[in-house]
Amino acid sequence: MMQGILIIPVLFPIIAGIAMIIIKPKAKVYSPWFIEGIVLLNSILVWTIMLTGMGRGDGAVLFKLTYDLSIYFRLDGAGMVFTGLVSFLWPLATLYAFEYMEHGEHIRSFFSLYTMTYGVTLGIAMAGNLVTLYMFYEMLTLVTFPLVLHDRTREARRASRMYLYYSIGGAACAFMGLVFVLVYGSTTDFTLGGVFGGGAQGVDHNILLAMYVLAFFGFGVKAAIVPVQKWLPAASVAPTPVTALLHAVAVVKSGAFAIIRLTYYSYGADFLRDTWAHYLTAAFVMITILYGSTMAVKEIHFKKRLAYSTISNVSYILLGVVMMSPAGLVAAFTHLVFHAFMKICSFFSAGAVMHRADRNYVYELDGLGYKMPITFACYTASGLALMGMPPFAGFISKWNIVQAALSEGGILGTCAIVILLYSALMTAIYMLSVTVRAFFPAKDTVLTANDGVSDPGWKMLVPLVIFVIVFTVMGIYAKPLIQFLEEIC
Amino acid sequence: MMNNNATLLIPIILPILCGILTGMFGKLRLRARYKGIAIAGMLAAEAVIVILALRIGRVFVVGSINSDIRILFRVDALSRLFGALVAFVWFLTGIYACEYLKKDRHFDSFFAFYLMTEGLIVALSVAGNMITFYMFFEMMTMLSFPMVMHDRTHEAIRAGLKYMFYSVAGALMSLVAIFMLTPYGYLGDFKAGGILDIEALTGHEQVLLVSALLMIVGLGTKAGMFPMHAWLPTAHPEAPAPASAVLSGVITKTGVIGIIRGVFYCIGPRLLAGTWVQHVWIILSLITVLMGSMMAYREPMFKKRLAYSTVSQVSYMMFGLSVMNSVAFTGAVSHIVFHSLIKTTLFLVAGAVIHQTGHTRVDELKAIGKEMPVSMICYTIVSLGLIGIPPLSGFVSKWYLASGALMSGTTPYSWLGPVILLVSALLTAGYLLPVTIRGFFPGVNYGVGTPNRAEPDAIMYLPMIVMAVMTLILGIYPGFITATIQLIAEGIF
Repeated sequence: MMQGILIIPVLFPIIAGIAMIIIKPKAKVYSPWFIEGIVLLNSILVWTIMLTGMGRGDGAVLFKLTYDLSIYFRLDGAGMVFTGLVSFLWPLATLYAFEYMEHGEHIRSFFSLYTMTYGVTLGIAMAGNLVTLYMFYEMLTLVTFPLVLHDRTREARRASRMYLYYSIGGAACAFMGLVFVLVYGSTTDFTLGGVFGGGAQGVDHNILLAMYVLAFFGFGVKAAIVPVQKWLPAASVAPTPVTALLHAVAVVKSGAFAIIRLTYYSYGADFLRDTWAHYLTAAFVMITILYGSTMAVKEIHFKKRLAYSTISNVSYILLGVVMMSPAGLVAAFTHLVFHAFMKICSFFSAGAVMHRADRNYVYELDGLGYKMPITFACYTASGLALMGMPPFAGFISKWNIVQAALSEGGILGTCAIVILLYSALMTAIYMLSVTVRAFFPAKDTVLTANDGVSDPGWKMLVPLVIFVIVFTVMGIYAKPLIQFLEEIC
Repeated sequence: MMNNNATLLIPIILPILCGILTGMFGKLRLRARYKGIAIAGMLAAEAVIVILALRIGRVFVVGSINSDIRILFRVDALSRLFGALVAFVWFLTGIYACEYLKKDRHFDSFFAFYLMTEGLIVALSVAGNMITFYMFFEMMTMLSFPMVMHDRTHEAIRAGLKYMFYSVAGALMSLVAIFMLTPYGYLGDFKAGGILDIEALTGHEQVLLVSALLMIVGLGTKAGMFPMHAWLPTAHPEAPAPASAVLSGVITKTGVIGIIRGVFYCIGPRLLAGTWVQHVWIILSLITVLMGSMMAYREPMFKKRLAYSTVSQVSYMMFGLSVMNSVAFTGAVSHIVFHSLIKTTLFLVAGAVIHQTGHTRVDELKAIGKEMPVSMICYTIVSLGLIGIPPLSGFVSKWYLASGALMSGTTPYSWLGPVILLVSALLTAGYLLPVTIRGFFPGVNYGVGTPNRAEPDAIMYLPMIVMAVMTLILGIYPGFITATIQLIAEGIF
């Protein structure tokens, strides 16, 4: 009966968030410590569940849609990876958000939505079947859409509308793939290896594959695959805590995670392997990597550049996925975890620059490294990590992806390697050119605009430094994580 | 299990730590003299520790990152030789730099990167397997490119970025090679003569050859080998003189060391001799030798001329390695040592000229020998060494290179190579000696009266003298170096 506890971490933040909207506090806003307390409590609960092994078992049913179709949570290995990641990052991101939003408006609605998103993301992570995942996936769109809208500017409205249309449209596509799994699969639960074990009865394989492709691109909207990637750079108008956590971690990773679930746990890698659907999705993933890293070099808006970098890096994860092999899945999870830390670190650094120095464009960053040394040191570390420089974690995930691609062999593997290395080079350009500007301003640049700028307060710095420590340590000592991933795949 | 010896970590960690401290506290308002003394002290300590700690046979296993990547340090004769060379050159150049950059605003940041780079180069020279080497190689790039941007001019920044992008691209190529060869046991511990699993390789020869070429071209980027050489003539002249000195003198050689490790200690020369990869390698290195010399010959900027000279000279080593026999190998490795001393001196002289007179073009250097006699005498000695005139050290290495090529049996390169080396030597004389000639014999039309004495401070010319004297001594008594290298070569072939 202990399994019931799984429901709590999902519902608690959602209910707390709703309560914060409904109940007006005496002061104008809730105390940051109250909110942080909720988030932290929830994270502690999640980790307790994971570490004590309470989560292992049949799962907890929330309610039943029909006799044999229920909304229920179950914590398997893959879910634990994503759950652990989200619950580690959320308290830190919330801490960062307090300082970032200190002069902002609509703080109460911001934090209540932010807290609700936490619960919803955990819902995705712990979903036990595709229907549950789908339900929380839709909810995620609905709770994050007001966050993109937060600034209420014309641009924000446009971006949020775009985000909404893209996501809803994508979810509709995903739904069709889902229906086919429900109808023709042997079970609705997530099963490693897929539910079409004996081959589906009564339906042409090509139709199933077409439905897979449809669902792939449907979930791929959130993972920002070309041709449905446009909303992500546009959504950079949102406040940085939102862009960082949602668009570098929760939302895009939910998309990637959903694709992992769809590919390995519903359709099954063996079912898809060496079919046209396999090659089609792989081709689009590679195009996305090329597109993202090339556009990032071209982009001069700091946060948009990072958004393009996200597009290419999330497709690294998907590149692991489309290898359709256990090694590929390990690689995908490795990058899913590491990229979260690296990208949130660079987004937070960009946010710190915007917050303290009010600079949005890369060419405005000259000489800021001396004024904000810790911020830019963290940024540089994240940049090096993203390009896969040892001893940072990015090297390990790149290593794993390439190993998976190599064991795949053939034209697919070769293309994957070439594209990855091209992307690494582009990453060096778009990440480090910022560092160079910040620390090596050209001699004749006028730097008076930088006077009075300084590193942000501890609420922003602590998360940054923790992220750097995490991805450095993971880079040097990745063994336990990789072993864990190899066990679950 | 071999016994772990943690003392190996000291010469790696010490400079990195000192570099970080310099970066943190370098802004303290100390007098430049004290800062200089502190830095010289650090460098001297490092040099002593390198000699003491890098004893052949010492091993230190740091640990494994995942199932493939094992970080391991191990000292063999080659690492000891290269490590000692690095520490020596770094020490002398560092002393020079203290004076050269005395009034520079970015004194601290220069030395921070300078020291950290040293630690990483020592680390890569004692790397015990290819992945360890690769990791430190990449880190070294990342910490050395800021030195190029030291002056903060637009050109310097662009040059620094160019250096970094080329290096990263090259390193990625070699990473591909590492990936492709990992299934055949490429990441095992270095062993002279190769470690690949021959049985597993049967049927995959083309994979091996393509990866070997990628490895050579990729690491050859750092060594300025055609077709990835373009960064070198841009980046080296833009750096401040001490940085150009170590970039040309030492950092280019890390690429050569990498190729020695990757090809002779992992793949093994037997698997490559006679294949198309060897031909491509020889051709690329000969093209680079000739092209570098010719470009240097027509280059009017002093430091840029020296940079082109580096392009040419480092490919002498590449040529020596590519013909794959023990004599040419001896020549190549001894040329690492000799060229390192020579090219460092040349850049130090060029820096002294800029520092004292502000001249950057060769045609401005009339009568420079009258103004800076000590520096120019050092310049002349090492120039003669680089051309390969006995009894200076360059002669010894070129002798080995040429005779190794002649007995290699790789026609037509066995004779084409020495011919090109000879032509290149002529060109070397042609681009280095005019400075001496015009410097000491400015011609009858030159202004009357006593020339201005512009000799730099002794701190600046002492390192040059030491290295020039070394060039001479090693030319007369090369046995100590060549004997060591021959032992290494015998293990490989």
